[in-house]
Amino acid sequence: MNGRPTVVITGLGAVSAHGCGRRAVASALAGGEPILGEVDRPPGLHREREGSSRKASLIRGLDFKPWIPPMAARRMSPPSKMAVAAAKMAVEECGVEAEALHEAAVYVSTNFGPSTYSERILRQVFEENPEAVSPMLFTESVANAPAAQIALAFRAVGPNVTVTQREAGALLALSQAAAEVARGRVPVAIVAAVDEISTVLHATLDRLGALATPEADGTEIARPFDRQRSGFLLSEGAGAVVLEREEEARGRGAEPLARLRFAASGFDPGASRISWSRDAKALADPLRRRMRESGLGPGDIEGIVSGASGSVPGDFLEARVLRRLWGEATLPPILAPKAVLGEYGVGPVVPGVLAALGEPFGATPGFEEADSRLGVVPHDGSPLPRPRRVLISSLAAGGAGAWVVLESMADE
Amino acid sequence: MAVSSKVAITGIGAVSGWGWSAPALWEGLLSGRPAIRRPERFDIADHRTQLASEVPKALPQLRSIIPGWHRRTWADRYALAAAFEACRQAGVEGPLRGAGVFFGGSTAGMAEGEKYFKALLGRSSEGLRLHDIASHQMNGPGDEVARHFGVDGPVHTVSSACAAGGLALGRALEALRAGEVELALAGGADSLCQLTYAGFNSLRAVDAEVCRPFRKNRAGLSLGEGGAVLVLEPLERALGRGARPLALLEGVGASCDAHHMTAPHPEGTGAALAMEAALADAGLAPEAIHFINSHGTGTPLNDVAEGKALDRVFGERARRLPVTSTKACVGHLLGSSGALEAAATVMCLEHGQVHPVPWGRESEEVLEGIDLVLGEPRGLISQGNVPARALSTSFAFGGANAAVLLAAFSAIPAEGAGP
Repeated sequence: MNGRPTVVITGLGAVSAHGCGRRAVASALAGGEPILGEVDRPPGLHREREGSSRKASLIRGLDFKPWIPPMAARRMSPPSKMAVAAAKMAVEECGVEAEALHEAAVYVSTNFGPSTYSERILRQVFEENPEAVSPMLFTESVANAPAAQIALAFRAVGPNVTVTQREAGALLALSQAAAEVARGRVPVAIVAAVDEISTVLHATLDRLGALATPEADGTEIARPFDRQRSGFLLSEGAGAVVLEREEEARGRGAEPLARLRFAASGFDPGASRISWSRDAKALADPLRRRMRESGLGPGDIEGIVSGASGSVPGDFLEARVLRRLWGEATLPPILAPKAVLGEYGVGPVVPGVLAALGEPFGATPGFEEADSRLGVVPHDGSPLPRPRRVLISSLAAGGAGAWVVLESMADE
Repeated sequence: MAVSSKVAITGIGAVSGWGWSAPALWEGLLSGRPAIRRPERFDIADHRTQLASEVPKALPQLRSIIPGWHRRTWADRYALAAAFEACRQAGVEGPLRGAGVFFGGSTAGMAEGEKYFKALLGRSSEGLRLHDIASHQMNGPGDEVARHFGVDGPVHTVSSACAAGGLALGRALEALRAGEVELALAGGADSLCQLTYAGFNSLRAVDAEVCRPFRKNRAGLSLGEGGAVLVLEPLERALGRGARPLALLEGVGASCDAHHMTAPHPEGTGAALAMEAALADAGLAPEAIHFINSHGTGTPLNDVAEGKALDRVFGERARRLPVTSTKACVGHLLGSSGALEAAATVMCLEHGQVHPVPWGRESEEVLEGIDLVLGEPRGLISQGNVPARALSTSFAFGGANAAVLLAAFSAIPAEGAGP
């Protein structure tokens, strides 16, 4: 980026309701079926009304022993365990030596941090006594606990940064880590996205009307870009990648999965605090500018991993930003992995890398009828050629937007 | 945009236990007294300790310039008040096109989130209000600043516990150097809340008395709240528009202890790495530093480790290097502490004085090897046209470390300046 050495992704890991590792997520995206479980509903938290969400994409009963020794796991919050496990998978795939990992930077993004631990602490404060608070819970309740645990797992003494910019955070973390690697400050960066679901979080997003409402038969489904979309599916999980300079990765015989071509970010100051902006121009402009600076145009993008989640205002903005860039031209295939994996959880980078690898994506679940206001139709499941460049888009509630373009290594 | 080598600070704003402005903070810091007392924000009776540095009530005129005061979280108010002050001093006003916001925080709107949660549990008489969580997330204060000042560039919130503010300054510096933005509002804001108050007490990390950094009888930290914003821009841009640079941001370094979730590395290796990285980033040798605004929490483990880190970086000279701690005066502002302490350091450089840490009891002894600036401000002496420089350090939970290198600004070309 910016004429600096190129940065590549050499390892990938994931923890999701569909299973662990690249293959599990790839199979899920090919199959096009979300896996949902019932969320606990202790009395009083959720609004007891028709249309209240009851489900989410949950990680339950996962055995972390393959990646985390039990002695270490017992001191970790669920997000820390998920993030460390995903990072271990990514590092194992990349094959970087321990010496380089010792100097690694760790960048983690999270929307809500270890929310179950925060919830438990506040219950201790309000239902018992402030003196009842568990120090172990508090230590692991901080947003940067997963990043710290990744550093501990690899003895990584490089910069340790946790980015919390809602849905845009994962790509901001990726781009910042890539810049550190490109500048030569660190030989390697481990970049992860992680989130867990607490009952309070689920209940609150439901009260805010953000979640997909149950259908007549009780099923809950996100419908990205669909006219009938009603909200997103909440998910927990983690995704991780390893970044290196391309020259060094190739020098040690690694086979990069994808190359970072450029990153962009912007903000719409007209956005409200809790929802998505309606001003597509404010967010399309920085992406267009950065694309031009990188010597690319919309026609050079052959696949889009959108942030569409089934959110009514979120998908509207996503579609309008893309339409502003492409105008009347035909858009490249638009993937909506959140229809399968849910919102948050694995994050946008892992599906983006899978798209750049040419993994097949199934039809977008829930999409039945185009929304005429959007002018965008998601992928229908037909076979796609391996794209040379994939745009990953993440637009956040509150006004932030971030994008990354990955290049496929197919021809190399 | 042009790629810039030198970055100037042209405005600072601060909200702290000493009040709603940077001059109020500076006056309080020079007084040699702590702004640490019994807080009134929430019922403290059942907590193990009963002290914190709480921001005093705002004057009505301040409430009138921050739109929607009553709807905002405490952290958002601190962020906006600091941003107003910083922008006014820098002579910039919105909409700030081509600018970015880089914030650090760790509690943000948690205090309001707690009200919501308490109501959800049926333990509040106020009823459930969804707007209490509208700005609950960590990015709330930074987003509010961006929204209010019409910022359309990158908006980026870091939440790496107590290192977040320093790391946010580092991200802002990189964005300016790369020409990604032409102006940056960097800072942070956090408010007192029950979760962190009870949490730090559960770790027995809070002193029941006012904190005593670097004293042999220290027994923990004092929590605080507030926020700070620094206006950063390329030096040539600042001079070109006639702005007065207050100081230069010359380098930021970051590292991780990778040692323990809460305890610092006992030899201070991670802290030393961050300081060395900041020096390298600025292209400077340790000899260029005139004083340290330390992390200086007052916890038994931190202060010893920090002393060892200073020894590692500065060798024998560490014993003669003046050390202060802003936390001793206004408590630990957690994720925004790095921003507030950078603002305090800028004021030290601007006024040519290192602010003191408050006197404790007469009998208190200072840790061996630490030249603590105690009770009275100390004048900064630099030779020739070498500008005074300082490191402001932040060492966090989970081992995340940040060090910020700041230099006094002089219109005379400086010696030994880095990239």
